[in-house]
Amino acid sequence: MMGKTAFCFPGQIQERPILEDHHPLREDSHFKELLERADRVTRFDLLNFSFKGEETANELDLKLQISTYLLSMVHFSRLRAAGWTPDILAEHSMGVYGALAASEVVTFEEGLFITESIGRLLKREGTLHQGAMASIIGLPLEEVQKICQDLDGYRLFIANYNGSMQYVLSGEVEGVEKAISFALSRKAISATRLAFATALHSSSLLSLREEILGLLKDIKIQSPKFPVLNHWTIKPLKKEEIKDFLSQEIGRPVYWVRCVERLIQEGVDRFVEVGNESTLTKLIRWVNREVEAFSAGDRL
Amino acid sequence: MVEQNDLIEKIKHLIIQRLKLVEMTPEMIETDAPLFGEGLGLDSIDALELVLGLEKEFGVIIPDAEVGKKVFQSVRTMAQYVIEQQGRA
Repeated sequence: MMGKTAFCFPGQIQERPILEDHHPLREDSHFKELLERADRVTRFDLLNFSFKGEETANELDLKLQISTYLLSMVHFSRLRAAGWTPDILAEHSMGVYGALAASEVVTFEEGLFITESIGRLLKREGTLHQGAMASIIGLPLEEVQKICQDLDGYRLFIANYNGSMQYVLSGEVEGVEKAISFALSRKAISATRLAFATALHSSSLLSLREEILGLLKDIKIQSPKFPVLNHWTIKPLKKEEIKDFLSQEIGRPVYWVRCVERLIQEGVDRFVEVGNESTLTKLIRWVNREVEAFSAGDRL
Repeated sequence: MVEQNDLIEKIKHLIIQRLKLVEMTPEMIETDAPLFGEGLGLDSIDALELVLGLEKEFGVIIPDAEVGKKVFQSVRTMAQYVIEQQGRA
């Protein structure tokens, strides 16, 4: 029996995407069309990785978030044009915006509006209460939990459960810095800061719920064309719960391991990362080495 | 020297197998090229796979990030570490 295919939408990329002149995407019709459409919604110019006109400080996260969304949508269009049909969509963190647009819950333009609007709220939050995130690789969960307990008072959260021995912490800058040195002294293979100025997926961001619901007020949510597995409760999102999910997902953890395990239980044996990079592909490889996993950016 | 060359070959196979680099062959991996960043382009998630691979395949342990940084410079430094650790056993 043929297995199922999951399209996986990654969260915020960590570096400016390299789309130099000879990059194959530059000649791609989907890329050109979506960038033209994006131009009517946002002043962000993906090719130059900058906002047209005047830029303000601390916009790196926002630019990375919009870039992630645009690249996911370009790759989704390319996959569909190449004949791929997903059985289910999975999403990691802010990858949910791309997943919802791909599932036609919102339009491409609405998804971009949501990405930028929530990104600007996070930027504001990061200015008011500077936060940070760190990737901790090579320590078991109990050890990572102990680091959070030992640094009680810094309000550290496990933001992402990406795999056994692979976690992301979120919290105040000083606490995250201390957690990195604790992790290294406790024999982590790697402990590094990520490109976030806000403590994403920490409960402090639940204070933004009402504002996010306000941003979504005029957006009409459609029934998902493909089921979208959410990264928090590990269930397919129902149409009526999507706005509420969007209003709180940035304040809730990402249980990525459970997402992958659930998909495999449901019969998925092919995972396609809908983006330029292979971050989720590598995390899936760690959870299960038997399933096929690849990035659209590598194959198409 | 023969021992080190054999080991280098085995480590290249290990890298391909652990990281599922399906389109690569051992000949495509340069023995002295950096594994991370500009070289083979590996990242810390790949490093964790290699830590596990070295332990399973050769019984050697990378105890922390500091040792990992030295060992994972290139295929040659990985081979040297395996020889050194096995010599201690």
